[in-house]
Amino acid sequence: MSVRIVNFTLNGRNIDVMVKPLTTLQKLLREHLNYTATKTGCKQGSCGSCTVLVNGEPMVSCLLPVEDIVGKNVLTLEGLSDNGDLHPIQESFFELFAVQCGYCTPGMIMVSKALLDHNPDPNRDEILDALTGNYCRCTGYEPIIRAVEESARRLNLAGEGV
Amino acid sequence: MSIQEYFRPQSIEEATRLLADQAQGSLILAGGTLAMPLINDGISMPEMVLGLKDSGLNYIKDQDKYLVIGATATLSQMASQTKISMLSEAALAVGGWAIRNMATVGGNFFAPPPGGDFTAALLALDAEITFVSSQGERTIAVKDFFTGFLTNSMAPGEIIKEVRVPFPEGKTAFTKYGRRHANTPSIVAIAANLGYQSEKVSKARIALNAVGPYPLRAVMTEDYLLGKSLTEQVIQEAGEIAAGECSPFTDAIASEWYRRKMVPVILGRTLEQIGD
Repeated sequence: MSVRIVNFTLNGRNIDVMVKPLTTLQKLLREHLNYTATKTGCKQGSCGSCTVLVNGEPMVSCLLPVEDIVGKNVLTLEGLSDNGDLHPIQESFFELFAVQCGYCTPGMIMVSKALLDHNPDPNRDEILDALTGNYCRCTGYEPIIRAVEESARRLNLAGEGV
Repeated sequence: MSIQEYFRPQSIEEATRLLADQAQGSLILAGGTLAMPLINDGISMPEMVLGLKDSGLNYIKDQDKYLVIGATATLSQMASQTKISMLSEAALAVGGWAIRNMATVGGNFFAPPPGGDFTAALLALDAEITFVSSQGERTIAVKDFFTGFLTNSMAPGEIIKEVRVPFPEGKTAFTKYGRRHANTPSIVAIAANLGYQSEKVSKARIALNAVGPYPLRAVMTEDYLLGKSLTEQVIQEAGEIAAGECSPFTDAIASEWYRRKMVPVILGRTLEQIGD
């Protein structure tokens, strides 16, 4: 078996790791690097709880071999908060009760981050389209949708320097 | 036996050479959305895996009368291209955002039923598929690709290089029917491309997905539509013919009976879009 050294950027930090062939990013994050915000759900790409951003685009880390992200920028939920201060999306999810058991939350927040980076003022349909790959079995989705709308409002206000 | 090697060829020449050198064969991986779930579950345990992501096949380009799509172009790339609108609609019918960022055009040919919605759109557009091996290239029509359930006409050592889609004449429409609005397996998906001459159908291409062992052309329905106007009665009759010539199956999503019942309904909606 040929073990490889892979270099990539994780939440702004340069990372070099040795991986066995076809190790998934999910397994690397959780079991080797101890970045456990990224959850293990179905390992089938169906539930979205392991979603991370690769060069700003959401991808399911359970289906992504680490060797495929050489030289790329990976952002996980751990990379959102700033010195312990919650990111506006995290604040909105927390304050609007978009979290119950919390298992889907990291994936939901990462997709919301990608959505709001691409489209700072999404309508309800655009939010639904973006989040359709992420399953939540607790909330019924409404609080999550409201939290994304609130996140957009807060981020846009912050962008205007208010 | 665990995975011994994950090859990541940096060109298509390197990929075909590596494949030719391996007598026992490799699992070919592009976006990973079909193969990785099976590997994660231990259902598939390949020794050698050949990843195509860096082999330079993620292009979409205009070439004469064709849109030429590299095999590893993602469905997100297809969704955002504006040259052929039906390919954008069909790409958006597959999975959620993260899956479309990974899943590829070439990979969709290997999606087990009820997958393959994007391939159905390629079928309706008379697309061609080009294989490459260390022996050279060959091109066949997409309609000649499938030979049965999970079997196809590729030879050992071949890789899908690209798909060539003629810019459609006439009108196109794509309808997917599933149990949810989005990110859902198909009960039935239908792609249609109709050409007209003096208000009569002069060319008909109808492709059905999720109602057979692979995405199929409804050739009897196509023949029936030739020379006709899309009246309510013609659309109804076409639906009955299509329901008769497909071979649906029962799975966790829908029964064979229900799938067959929905073929005329969804074909009707598709043809009405074209008629409007």
